[in-house]
Amino acid sequence: MKENSCIRVSNLSKKYSGSDSFALKDVTLEIFNGEIFGLLGPNGAGKTTFFSIVCGLLNATSGNAQIAGYSTDKDIESIKKIIGVVPQDIALYPTLSGRDNLMFIGRMYGLKGKVLKERVQECLSKFGFDKNSNEQVKKYSGGMKRRINLIGGILHEPEILLLDEPTVGMDVQTRTSMMEHLKELNKEKKMTILYTSHYLEQAELFCDRVAIMDQGQILCLGSPVDLIKKENGKDLEDVFLKFTGRKIRD
Amino acid sequence: MRRLIATFIKEFKILIVDKTGITILFVMPVMLVFIMTLIQFEAYKSLTQSGIPVLLVNNDNGSLGLSLEKGFKKFSICKLTVDHGEKYKNSEDIKKRIVDGEFIVALVIPKGATNVLRDNVGEMTNSFFDKEKTTKQIATQVKIEVIVDPTASKSFVMAISSGLKEFIASVKTKVLFQIMGEKIAQLLDSDTKAVLPEQDFFVYDESYAVRNSGKTYEPNAVQHNIPAWAIFSIFFIVLPLAGSIINERSEGLFIRMRTFPGNYLSILSGKLFVYFFVAIIQFVMIMLLGKFVMPMLGLPVLDIGTHWFALTTLTIMLSLAAVSYGLLIGTLFSTPQQSAVFGGISILILSALGGIWVPVNLMPPIMQTISSVSPLNWALVGYYELFIKGGDWQAIQFQVLKLALFFIFSITVSYQLYKSKLRKY
Repeated sequence: MKENSCIRVSNLSKKYSGSDSFALKDVTLEIFNGEIFGLLGPNGAGKTTFFSIVCGLLNATSGNAQIAGYSTDKDIESIKKIIGVVPQDIALYPTLSGRDNLMFIGRMYGLKGKVLKERVQECLSKFGFDKNSNEQVKKYSGGMKRRINLIGGILHEPEILLLDEPTVGMDVQTRTSMMEHLKELNKEKKMTILYTSHYLEQAELFCDRVAIMDQGQILCLGSPVDLIKKENGKDLEDVFLKFTGRKIRD
Repeated sequence: MRRLIATFIKEFKILIVDKTGITILFVMPVMLVFIMTLIQFEAYKSLTQSGIPVLLVNNDNGSLGLSLEKGFKKFSICKLTVDHGEKYKNSEDIKKRIVDGEFIVALVIPKGATNVLRDNVGEMTNSFFDKEKTTKQIATQVKIEVIVDPTASKSFVMAISSGLKEFIASVKTKVLFQIMGEKIAQLLDSDTKAVLPEQDFFVYDESYAVRNSGKTYEPNAVQHNIPAWAIFSIFFIVLPLAGSIINERSEGLFIRMRTFPGNYLSILSGKLFVYFFVAIIQFVMIMLLGKFVMPMLGLPVLDIGTHWFALTTLTIMLSLAAVSYGLLIGTLFSTPQQSAVFGGISILILSALGGIWVPVNLMPPIMQTISSVSPLNWALVGYYELFIKGGDWQAIQFQVLKLALFFIFSITVSYQLYKSKLRKY
C-alpha cells in the first residue's frame, strides 16, 4: 500500500445470498489521502455495495478492504471512529428538531458539553440553519433534510467522509452549495471524500478522480479531465455512456 | 454508558413530542384500569344495592309456601316479587318475563306442596310405629321450578340459585320437623305442640385464607382488577416499542446507527431503558389511581401491602418482560403493521390465558394448564399474592424467576434473530 493511500481494496467480490451474480467482482482500487473521489455508475452497478463494505456494513465474499491501514474485517471499530457516513436515505428522526438530531449524532461520536453545542451551532450556521434548527425535521423541505443528513456525517470532523448519493433530490443551488462546503472541508481539514453519485456534471467539477463502474466492475479510473481526453469525449457524461451503454437499467 | 445516556435522551425527546404516543402510553392504560374496575364494582354494587330481581310464584297456601315467602322477604340481596298464581298462571308467562329482563330468577312453588310434604312426613312417621310397614319411596315429590335468565353470567346464576336452594332446604327442614312433631303428637294422642327454635343449628364463620393471619385482606373489585389491568396495560408497551424498532431499522437510520462507534445493541439498550421506565411510571400511576382517585368515587382503597421489596422486584421484572417481548416482536417482524397486529393479538391471547379476563380457576382443566405459560399469569399470580393473599417475597419469588427467565429468553432470541438478519445481507 502506498504511504498516502487512504482506502485500499484488493480483489474485492461480493455475492448476496440467494443471488447467482456478483454485485462486486474482483474490484481493486486505491483512494489517496485528501482527495475527493467519485464512484459513478448506473443503477445496480455495485456502488452502494462497495460503499457498504467500506463502511463495515457488509462483509465481502472475498478480497479485502483497508481504511487508513485498518482492515474492515478485523478493525471495524477503529474504522468507525475515523469515518463519517452520509447514507443515501435520510437518516434522521423526523419528530426531533434538526438540532436535536445533530446533538444525538454528536454524542454518539463522543462529543459532549460545550464542544458539542458549539460544533452543532457552527455546522448549522454554515449550512444555512440560523432560523429553523429547532423545528421538527418532518417540517423541513427535502433539501433541508439532505443538508442536516450531511451535517450528521461531518459533525465529528472525520478523516474520511463516505457519502452515498448525497445530493439526490436537491435543487441546483442547494447541490452546488453543498458540494462547495465539501470542497472547503476537503481543503481546510484535508478530509478524504468518497462519494457515489449519478450527477456526472457535478462529479466532473468537484472530483479529483472518478471511477466508472458497472455490473460490479471498475470500467475506468482517472481524473475527469484525463478520462475525457483519453476517451475523446465531450464531457464526463459522454465517457460514462461510452463505458456503460445506453440500455435502461432496472 | 455515554452512548446509553445519549440514546436515552434521544428516545425521551422523541416520546415527549409524540402526543399520540403519550396518550397511548399513559392516558389509555389509566382509563382502561379505571373503567374496567368501575364497571366490575358498579355491576356488583348495583345488583346488591337495588336487589336481584327474583319472582316467587307461590301457588301453595300452606306453611311451606308461607315460610319461603317470609324468609325471602328478609333477604336484602333480593328484590322480591310475590305472586300467588294470579298474574303468572304458567311457566311460559314466567319465562317471557325473564326473557324480557324483568327478573333474573323465578321460583315456582306448586299448588298443594305443603300437603304433599305433610302426607310424605305422615307416611314416614307412621312407618316408625308400624313394624310391618316399611317406607322405601315417598309417594309424591314436590317439584319446585327454578327458571333463570340465560343471559346472566353463569357463575352469578349458579351462586344465586344454589343460595336459593340452600334456603329452600332449610325452610323445608323446619316445616318437616313441624309436621313430624304434629304427627307424633297425634299418634301419641298428646296435646303437646312441638316448639321449634327460630335459630339455625349451624352458624357459618367465613374468613379468607391469607398467608399473613395478622392482617385482614378484603378481596374486592379494586384489589382484583387493578393489578390485572395494570399488567395488561404494561404489556401493551410492546406495540409502540416494536414499531419504533422497526421504523428505525427500515430507514437510513439503521445504517447511521451501525456506523457509529460501538455496538448497535448498546444503542438499542438505551431505547429499551426508556420504555422500561415508561412501564414503571404506568404501574405507579395505576397504583396511585387505586390508592387515591378511586376512593373519591366511592370505591374501596387499593391495599398494596407492605412488602415493598417484593412489590418492586415483581414490577421491575414485569416491566423487563414486557419490554423484552416488544424487542422480540420488533426484531421478528419487518413492518410496523405486522408487529401491531401480531403484538396486539398475542397480548390479548396471553392475557386471556393468564386470567386477566376470567379467573384461571374457572377455566377448563386444559386451559388452566396452558395458562401457566403466560407471563401475564405469572405476574398476576404474584400481585394477587401480595395484594390479596398477604404473601411476601417468598411467596412470589418463583413468579419473579419465571418473568426473569422470559426476559432472558426474549433478549437471547432477539439477538440471534438480529444476527441472522444481518447475515442475510
